[in-house]
Amino acid sequence: MSNKTKKGNGSDGGQTKVSKQRSQDSQDYSSFKVVLFYCSLIVFLPVVTFFALKGFVLEQFFTMSDVKVNIAAAVGAVGALHVALGLYIYRAYFGGSDSKASQSKQD
Amino acid sequence: MSTDVSNDNPIYGPFFGVMGAASAIIFSALGAAYGTAKSGTGIAAMSVMRPELIMKSIIPVVMAGIIAIYGLVVAVLIAGQLDTPTTYSLYKGFIHLGAGLSVGFSGLAAGFAIGIVGDAGVRGTAQQPRLFVGMILILIFAEVLGLYGLIVAIYLYTK
Repeated sequence: MSNKTKKGNGSDGGQTKVSKQRSQDSQDYSSFKVVLFYCSLIVFLPVVTFFALKGFVLEQFFTMSDVKVNIAAAVGAVGALHVALGLYIYRAYFGGSDSKASQSKQD
Repeated sequence: MSTDVSNDNPIYGPFFGVMGAASAIIFSALGAAYGTAKSGTGIAAMSVMRPELIMKSIIPVVMAGIIAIYGLVVAVLIAGQLDTPTTYSLYKGFIHLGAGLSVGFSGLAAGFAIGIVGDAGVRGTAQQPRLFVGMILILIFAEVLGLYGLIVAIYLYTK
């Protein structure tokens, strides 16, 4: 009898462990999605901005010299890069602290 | 006439431009790799105990990656102007070599700084979360070193 109750307790503990693990997995997945989004934004936004700005500026003001078009595209790409980095730091500083209280140190 | 052209535009003129483009991305990537690896060990050591801080602690890795993007921008700019020796003067080659070296070595220095600061800062943030603001400020000042190299490189490129 006592063995049975022990077994029941053990299975309950296992279920809570599984549900806890699932909630942690979903939290990890959501934070991974956010980090992946911002990292891909930081990597690809300046490249896209550089070539888009180069084509657009060339098309719009074709009286500009080639060097000036390149400079404008490079400065625009670096500016877009820093905007994306600022967004990520803002999100990490203000948005990343809400899930802090729900988790604690694990042994 | 032909001697003037060969004096102004020697056959080895584009060599300097190619070396400038190559050194821009090589040294920037070297610094970015050091910064990523050094701060990555700190993140890995910190995340064992505080996995909820991963999003905050990825910031040094992102900043080290940005150093490589600076080098990429300058390398693409220089590579866009490379040409055959008849139209590419030796002066242009020197200018492009200087631009590539300035952004390359500045990126190398900034990557070293970001790596060391990111390692220590991430480990410290796990124990004292108020260190985060200070770590971000120090990382931004390290990042700006690479940005100074980029500004000088672009200014040289316009010459």
